[in-house]
Amino acid sequence: MVESSRMAARQRGVVGESRHLLLSVSPGVVWIVVFLVLPSLYLMAVAFMTNGAYGLPQMPLTLDAFKQLAGFGFLGWSPGNFYTLLRSLWQTLLATLLVVIVAYPIAYYITTCRVKWRAIMLLLVVVPSWTNQVIRTFGWMNLLAPGTPLSDIAQSLGFIAPNMGLYPSNFAVTLGLVYNFLPFMVLPLYAAFEKLDTAQVQAAQDLYASPLRTFRHAVFPQTLPGLLAGTVLVAIPAFGMYVIPELLGGGKGMMLGNLVANQFAGGSNWPLGAAGAILMLIATFIGLFAMRRVGKRLGGGEEVVI
Amino acid sequence: MKKRTLQRSLSAFWWLTLVFLYLPLAVVVFFSFNAANSAARFTGFSLRWYERLLGNEQIISAFWNSMVLAIVSSVVALGIGCLIGYGMYRHRHRRLGWLIVLIYLPIVLPDIVFGISEMAFFVSVHRYTGLLQPGLSTMIISHVTFQIPFVALIVYSRLVGLDPTLFEAAKDLYATPLKRAWHFLLPTIKPALISAFFLSFTLSIDDFVISFFTSGPESATLPIYIWGAIKKGVTPEINAIAALMIGAVALVALLSLLFNRQGQR
Repeated sequence: MVESSRMAARQRGVVGESRHLLLSVSPGVVWIVVFLVLPSLYLMAVAFMTNGAYGLPQMPLTLDAFKQLAGFGFLGWSPGNFYTLLRSLWQTLLATLLVVIVAYPIAYYITTCRVKWRAIMLLLVVVPSWTNQVIRTFGWMNLLAPGTPLSDIAQSLGFIAPNMGLYPSNFAVTLGLVYNFLPFMVLPLYAAFEKLDTAQVQAAQDLYASPLRTFRHAVFPQTLPGLLAGTVLVAIPAFGMYVIPELLGGGKGMMLGNLVANQFAGGSNWPLGAAGAILMLIATFIGLFAMRRVGKRLGGGEEVVI
Repeated sequence: MKKRTLQRSLSAFWWLTLVFLYLPLAVVVFFSFNAANSAARFTGFSLRWYERLLGNEQIISAFWNSMVLAIVSSVVALGIGCLIGYGMYRHRHRRLGWLIVLIYLPIVLPDIVFGISEMAFFVSVHRYTGLLQPGLSTMIISHVTFQIPFVALIVYSRLVGLDPTLFEAAKDLYATPLKRAWHFLLPTIKPALISAFFLSFTLSIDDFVISFFTSGPESATLPIYIWGAIKKGVTPEINAIAALMIGAVALVALLSLLFNRQGQR
């Protein structure tokens, strides 16, 4: 008797639980489905449509947008889009590498400082990224413009032609990307360094390992999860960057984000822009998937949280 | 000996990096006080650009747009995200993998893809139904969308650290669900709600790309206004607005530092 009534109560509870789950979660789920999943699916559909008047998508379905993205236009193949893709890849790679080179010593240095300073030091690294991206990039425009000290030095060294500035250029875009993403690498690396097992480092030193070997065998493997998390946080948004190449790159510094955005903002060719967006999504998911795989192989049971 | 040289060079590198991080911002603030029109030469101290700012109606309206956008979207996201976070907590023993994926979606999506898919969607819906005309409302919708996950995750992580027997206790005392929510749940998650609100607000103020693509001609926010001004040709007035925004961030940083200090004591 008691048993069965308890069962009934539990049953009622389960039904109530389901309703409860539905009530609490559904507004958000509906919101995200309607305002994010549907638009994304629509964008994917647009990539397979024909480019109509004013760049708006039309039926029938074609693969024209993808052909155009690969460089095939009315006049045969042109390398413009191909260069843009290559440049996006190269800039992402270069910026990520440079960010790692700067962030490693910084993250390590913070952990060697006294505990009460660490929070302040981290805050100092992060605060510039709280300012709007447009403003930060504008600051670099001011710094790299013709007639500024930095440009004058570069001119006297013969890096740039007289009366030119350091921007627009690919160099300025790289600089802007490194500036923008540095905090995203310092934070996860710092977290990894803070958890570092110093006994291993000590052991390596006791065995007369050179600093380089100590780093390679005792430090680097321990900081790898942080490095991976940082790489994802830097590389994925860098690949689709719009603001920095647009302001610092000029016409010759375009990246995939600009190619995509220009097809929409200029109203010239939605399907082409959508095809570029799909490419960006594929790159994003490859990046996330690869990090998960590498993270799992490393074991340690540590879930890398984005 | 060797260790000291390492420590010294690291310290030098640290200060160099700080210069790198703050130089662009310092330049903007510095030139906002420039008397001259040109951004290349500093000819004297002046507040004329700040005075011009106050008389510029476009900037004032962009400021209010930014504020309305940030506050309204944060409040809406707080309500929706809080419910999801609570649902995730109460039912975490069930299979909620799909929900987690759905929630992470707005975070992992590159912002340019986010922005253009919203734009394409809004424009097309508007063309066929007349609803969702690009403007402040569409910006609010997209900001809420990217804020929801952050609110949900913050509320969830606050609740997950809680002793589950507390919920049982509240139930055992025959509190109605509404009473439980009001007297127990809300006070418990209040700190999470406050920090989620500030995070949402910051995310909204900081966003440019998504706002840019979902805005209408009348709904420019401050970053959009600055972007337009830069594109049209730089005027020192931009230095002044940008300097004010940098000042606001510096103030927030200082406050968070003070709170941090107090928290440590």
